[in-house]
Amino acid sequence: MNKILSVLLLACLAIVSGCGKSEPGSSSNAGGSKITIALMPKSKGNAYFISCKKGADKAAKELGVDLVFDGPTDPDPAKQNEIIENWITLGVNAIAVACENREGISTALRKAKAKGIKIITYDADAMTDARDFFVNQATPEGIGFALMDEAARLCGNEGEFAIITASLTAANMIEWQKYIEARRADKYPNMKMVALRPCDDLKDKAQSEATALLSANANLKCIMAICSPAVPGAAEAVKQAGKTGKVKVLGLGLPNENKRYVHDGVTDSVILWNTEDLGYLTIFAANALAKGSLKAGNKTIKAGTLGEFQIEGDSILLGKPFTFNKDNIDKFDF
Amino acid sequence: MNTDKHRFKTAILRHETILLCVVILEWIYFNSVGLRFGSLDNTFDIMRHSVEIGLLALAMTPIILTAGIDLSVGSLLGLCAILFGKFWRDAHMPIPLAAACTIGIGALAGGLNAVLITWLRLPPLIVTLGTFSLFRGLAEAITRGVDTFTNFPASFLFLGQERWLGIPAQVPIFVAAAIGIWLLVHRTTFGRSFRAIGFAPEGTRYAGIPVERRLAMAYVLAGIVAAVAAIIYTSRLGQAKADAGTGYELFAITAVVLGGTSIFGGVGTVHGTLLGVAAIAVLNNGLVHARQPREVAGMLTGLLLILALTSSTIPKMLASLRERRQTPVTKPITT
Amino acid sequence: MLLIFLAIAAPAFFQPQPLLSLLTREAPTLVVACGMAFVIISRQIDISVGSQFAVCCVCAGLLAAKGWPMPMVFLAAISLGAIMGALNGWLVAGIRLPSIVVTLATMVMWREALRWKRQGEFVNLPDGMQWLGLSQVGGQWTLILVALVLLVVLAMATKHLSAGRFVYAVGTDAEAARLAGIRPQLTTFSVFVFMGALVGLAAMLNVVQSPQVDPKSGSGLELKVIAAAVVGGVAVSGGRGKLWGVFVGLLLLACISPALTHLHVEAYWEKAIQGAIILLAVVADGLRTRKQRS
Repeated sequence: MNKILSVLLLACLAIVSGCGKSEPGSSSNAGGSKITIALMPKSKGNAYFISCKKGADKAAKELGVDLVFDGPTDPDPAKQNEIIENWITLGVNAIAVACENREGISTALRKAKAKGIKIITYDADAMTDARDFFVNQATPEGIGFALMDEAARLCGNEGEFAIITASLTAANMIEWQKYIEARRADKYPNMKMVALRPCDDLKDKAQSEATALLSANANLKCIMAICSPAVPGAAEAVKQAGKTGKVKVLGLGLPNENKRYVHDGVTDSVILWNTEDLGYLTIFAANALAKGSLKAGNKTIKAGTLGEFQIEGDSILLGKPFTFNKDNIDKFDF
Repeated sequence: MNTDKHRFKTAILRHETILLCVVILEWIYFNSVGLRFGSLDNTFDIMRHSVEIGLLALAMTPIILTAGIDLSVGSLLGLCAILFGKFWRDAHMPIPLAAACTIGIGALAGGLNAVLITWLRLPPLIVTLGTFSLFRGLAEAITRGVDTFTNFPASFLFLGQERWLGIPAQVPIFVAAAIGIWLLVHRTTFGRSFRAIGFAPEGTRYAGIPVERRLAMAYVLAGIVAAVAAIIYTSRLGQAKADAGTGYELFAITAVVLGGTSIFGGVGTVHGTLLGVAAIAVLNNGLVHARQPREVAGMLTGLLLILALTSSTIPKMLASLRERRQTPVTKPITT
Repeated sequence: MLLIFLAIAAPAFFQPQPLLSLLTREAPTLVVACGMAFVIISRQIDISVGSQFAVCCVCAGLLAAKGWPMPMVFLAAISLGAIMGALNGWLVAGIRLPSIVVTLATMVMWREALRWKRQGEFVNLPDGMQWLGLSQVGGQWTLILVALVLLVVLAMATKHLSAGRFVYAVGTDAEAARLAGIRPQLTTFSVFVFMGALVGLAAMLNVVQSPQVDPKSGSGLELKVIAAAVVGGVAVSGGRGKLWGVFVGLLLLACISPALTHLHVEAYWEKAIQGAIILLAVVADGLRTRKQRS
């Protein structure tokens, strides 16, 4: 019996030490003079944030800063808080985070701010008092209006459309929906939103949802997919239903996942910003903030090879969302 | 028979000792890798972060002891969190009253599970799978996904975010719950009946124990504890939203099983569960300090689960093999 | 009953084309559900199927993208599934760990490993992979037929093949089965390997439906198939259940969501209604057995 016990202990030791060996000496940086920037996505395993990370890695290399990239494996606000609190104890210089949940995460961010850690939010903002700057890839207003305008153009300003979202509780998508509705009520009163369906951020589920939508709403003219896996999912559903051209798909998504459908004429256009630039700019801003060269009241910020960006109040503006269509989508690879 | 029982007891003891060693080893290792891992601040962080899942795991222990399971606790946490927010903001209840009502709701929801399981004798797995969807769905329907409760008074946020006498304010509640449930399971006839039900429900019934009532008690208790966890969760995050506690049931079950409680019921301890919670919490926290990605934590938890179980099953298996060799056919049929 | 209600409330539900797509989408799920029925009948459970499914999908996609011929990809996916199933089976039957714990662990491990390696990137498949190179309608019918034929064959097998009856025997009483000359551990092991192989097949049926593979496919699959099996009358206590029941259970669950879309119910209520329907189904079943008892 004792043999078994000792074997087990050895096994545990082996695992625990095994995982440590893969990254030797990384911990010594945390307290050193080198600046450490922690970057958090909403959730791991999401192609969108991986492409942000590519840009962030590039920036970190150019600046010679230490980049920590981690986040919850599922979009869970409580888990984001835990990792941030761990980072506070770890003693990083700056934290850049894409917030899953505005109020929830602000609790942890305020704590970090009180400890002198610089806070940047990107992709989705926290409460304004909980962070120093927000790297604004596009305002919710900008996204909502752009989506609605695009949809109205595709439908000829009248008809039914449906929205496929990631989940009913995702904060930023709820905000986009608000602006989509505001724009609709304001400018396109003849358009009607007939359904809102969640797809749990899964392509396959989005396809099933879109199939059901298509058969349940015979007059549907347009499907708006506002989370990235939903765009190819909805497009595949339209294609399989043989409604290519009759029902248009548009949405927020990555070019690589949608090229095929854009060329087939199923998806008319995909709206997104340059995600790599977003990661790149975020790291530059975090670095400048940690060094003290970026302060409240600055009007511009220089970000390496990308040049200068405008600052409006406490938002650093990445620029307008970009519309990928048949003509330009092949030029992008992310 | 008596020696058999004795061997069993030492086996349990061994499992918890192993787990304790694992926790200590984790601690030593991460302390050598992470610069501030062993600091008091971080220790308190670990505690603070494991309170909600720890509470759910505590409540799950008696249920699994009866060979049941409750998949609905995570969803119930979400439902209670938003109802608490609703009571406070929309019904203008003072915080203590809102908390009391929330706990009442938790008890009711647990009661629903209990009624379906005991009165209709439905399998707990299926009943709670249904309520798992139902509770989460109600939470989403009530808030329409959008409504978020926030701006709670500072006196309430104190519970989840501040320190009381130097320790995180929610930890005393957890300790009290842990002691309470430990006493219930290990020092009262209730606790013994949970185990008896897990071993042999019919036999327990013939022994004159009200099996249905005891089972119902375990599920209602889980509902109450889930409500308490919801209040602490809300306070820690400073907000209540319909997605609170998604997936927590799996974490809780993992902790309980890692702690040595048999999923078939009858065997297990509350302190084992606490060690299980600690092992997972330290692992999760330590890997951040060791700069390992989050995915690794998940994979190691899985591995740990299998290893910990293997270690306590192998001796039993060897014993049963030996027994079988001695008495090839006459072993009584067990169900 | 739900179907009749639907027929009145939303006739559009029964247009042939959407129904065909619905069935095609559920074909992989049906295959997994068949395997799960065997696992539950043998008194075990496998909650790692969703993660196995994702791993098989992604690996099959990667192999196809590398230019492997279609039959090889099929074979590779099925054997990969079988290997993962064998690991579960070895831990359950060989080391005698409880299956729920083993598969809980492997579920987390496969999923996190996949996420770690792939970071959520889609796999783009080569042309000609979709619908097995057939036309869309032809492909859809093929997939449905594969799933249905499998269902029929397995349903027959449970009745007429000794291997099928072994599963029931082991699920009813492993010790009695052993005394009757069946090797319960071997049976359990085989059931898990079979489950894995079916997951591999299901993954292929899913992969060929679209030109891209989402590495998150299959999340939540385990709950869906377990619910289908149980709603379809497979007893969690083992030894009881029919594959036809599973088929009906799956149809019921698969129809809920599109049905709600057709009835224009707001999505906010969907989860609650789903839970209520599952509860109603089991309560009805519970009441019936209660009446029988008394």
